[in-house]
Amino acid sequence: MAKNVNEPVLLADDLVAGYLPGVDVLRGCSVEVGRGELVGVIGPNGAGKSTLAKAVFGLLKVRTGTVRLDGRDVTNRPAHELVRRGVGYVPQLQNVFPALTVEENLRMGAYLKPRSFARRTAELEEFFPVLRARRSQKAGSMSGGERQLLAMARALMTEPQLLLLDEPSAGLSPLFQDQVFERVKEINAAGVAVLMVEQNARRCLQICIRGYVLDLGRNAHTGTGAQLLHDEKVIECYLGTLARAR
Amino acid sequence: MGHQRLFTAALALVLTVGPAASAGATAPGRGEAGDAGPGFGARALQALLDGVQFGVIIAITAVGLSLIFGTIHLINFAHGELVTIGAVSAFFLNASASGPGWHLIPAALAAVLLGGLVGAAVDLGVWRPLRRRGTGLINLFIVTIGLSLLLRHVVLVLYGTRPGSYVQYDIQQTIELGPVGITPRDLTVTVLSVLTLLGVALLLQRTRTGTAIRAVAGNRDLAAASGIDVQRVVLVVWILAGALAALGGVFFGLVEIVTWDMGYKLLLLMFAGVILGGLGSAYGAMAGSLVIGVVAQMSTLWFPVDLQYAWALLALVLVLLVRPQGILGRRERVG
Ligand SMILES: Nc1ncnc2c1ncn2[C@@H]1O[C@H](COP(=O)(O)OP(=O)(O)OP(=O)(O)O)[C@@H](O)[C@H]1O
Ligand SMILES: [Mg+2]
Repeated sequence: MAKNVNEPVLLADDLVAGYLPGVDVLRGCSVEVGRGELVGVIGPNGAGKSTLAKAVFGLLKVRTGTVRLDGRDVTNRPAHELVRRGVGYVPQLQNVFPALTVEENLRMGAYLKPRSFARRTAELEEFFPVLRARRSQKAGSMSGGERQLLAMARALMTEPQLLLLDEPSAGLSPLFQDQVFERVKEINAAGVAVLMVEQNARRCLQICIRGYVLDLGRNAHTGTGAQLLHDEKVIECYLGTLARAR
Repeated sequence: MGHQRLFTAALALVLTVGPAASAGATAPGRGEAGDAGPGFGARALQALLDGVQFGVIIAITAVGLSLIFGTIHLINFAHGELVTIGAVSAFFLNASASGPGWHLIPAALAAVLLGGLVGAAVDLGVWRPLRRRGTGLINLFIVTIGLSLLLRHVVLVLYGTRPGSYVQYDIQQTIELGPVGITPRDLTVTVLSVLTLLGVALLLQRTRTGTAIRAVAGNRDLAAASGIDVQRVVLVVWILAGALAALGGVFFGLVEIVTWDMGYKLLLLMFAGVILGGLGSAYGAMAGSLVIGVVAQMSTLWFPVDLQYAWALLALVLVLLVRPQGILGRRERVG
């Protein structure tokens, strides 16, 4: 696949999408992720962050607007086709197959590339050591943090060029959150572009190159991570005034 | 668990309008052991053997019903017709005056193939377009009732009401194994049924497609997000379900008799097996069907044969009172 280096990996433009007929959750939302970038999306509960990830990934029908991967229009293509084009996705909830073992979860992650299963498993077990000891354990019996790591490993099995992460730190202890953010940084450093939706706005903006603030299905603010971290309005609304102290 | 409630309601519907009302379907075997014949122990063993034989045939047909429910949450009321189509098409190829008169084995293989094709045809022709439109589950269920009626009457027109038997293996000498007896035919059917179930288990457990079926059953969106073409997996499930139902139909027609509504009469027991074993669990459907078959046959030791289905359903109710999620069903994990 010849890649146009100047094109952003992901360009979602003016997306309108929703679950119920006549009710738009996303109302003209745009995001761009450049090659190798780490981009964050923050916003209050119900802003439509997860909806944005699903619409980009073809799990929810886009009503108007376009999604481009490497400049190619993939709007409303089925999710498995986006996986083939190099996108990985970790949903916010139910992000592993609970009835399947850890190994089977990884096998499903490598569904399109069964030949590279052994090599990728070895590499990812290196990266996420907890998984190694758990190969034949059912994913449903793992802790929330372990599941999050398994979910990421599953999505990385096909060596995607773009990873969509929906709230990877949700529900984890501060220590585990640190570990997850550390992993995300490392994944990105290895050359994978990442679009990360996060509740933990400050931590997210600290590691992101650029960030979007989503509100009511629209882009409310956009800027580099550092800009947003010090933006008065963003602090007021999303980070809490304690952030000013810094 | 909303789906479970829907499925149980469907069972109630089958009970009221369905085959149970028209009764009269007798399971295979020789339950009505005569007066001063063998002692109770021998009769019990015989009923157990008959029950296992009946149960594994139900299991072959019920696994597909369970897989369809597990992957697309569709309660396939027309599953009995897939069974009938298998039995009747093998009858046409094997024993019908207007048929080619094949030996039963190639006829059975052709029927299984046809069953798979019918499964594929109903998915591609009916269910996939309806899924695409986002038709609700209740509406889909109503459509399966209509499809069941339609297919049943097509069979009625083509096959007629006369019961039929296959040409080969019709009447056989019983082999006595200590206190119990079984014909070579029934023994072969039982062994083949068990092997088929083992094959299905191996497929689900050991192959890439089988794991993908379990993945789709576990979480559709996540399966798609892993690169699995969900629609293709669902098509495979329909082909598998159609082929298994047809095989079960041939076996049932072989140990019993071929009739135009045999699958419909079996439907109640398939439903019971699936619910008893735990909804959406293929192994549960196998275990549940086995229990249903054994209870139905064992009940004839004490009660009239006409009531054997009622006892099987009573067993279902009792098990669900103790284990609402079924024998192998999982409780929804919370948190
Ligand atoms: N499956 C669904 N069906 C109908 N409405 C939905 C569905 N999922 C989400 N919504 C609605 O869409 C809106 C946006 O939800 P979304 O999950 O995208 O929010 P979010 O920004 O991810 O919130 P959170 O931070 O809580 O995860 C909400 O009002 C929600 O009620
Ligand atoms: Mg969300």
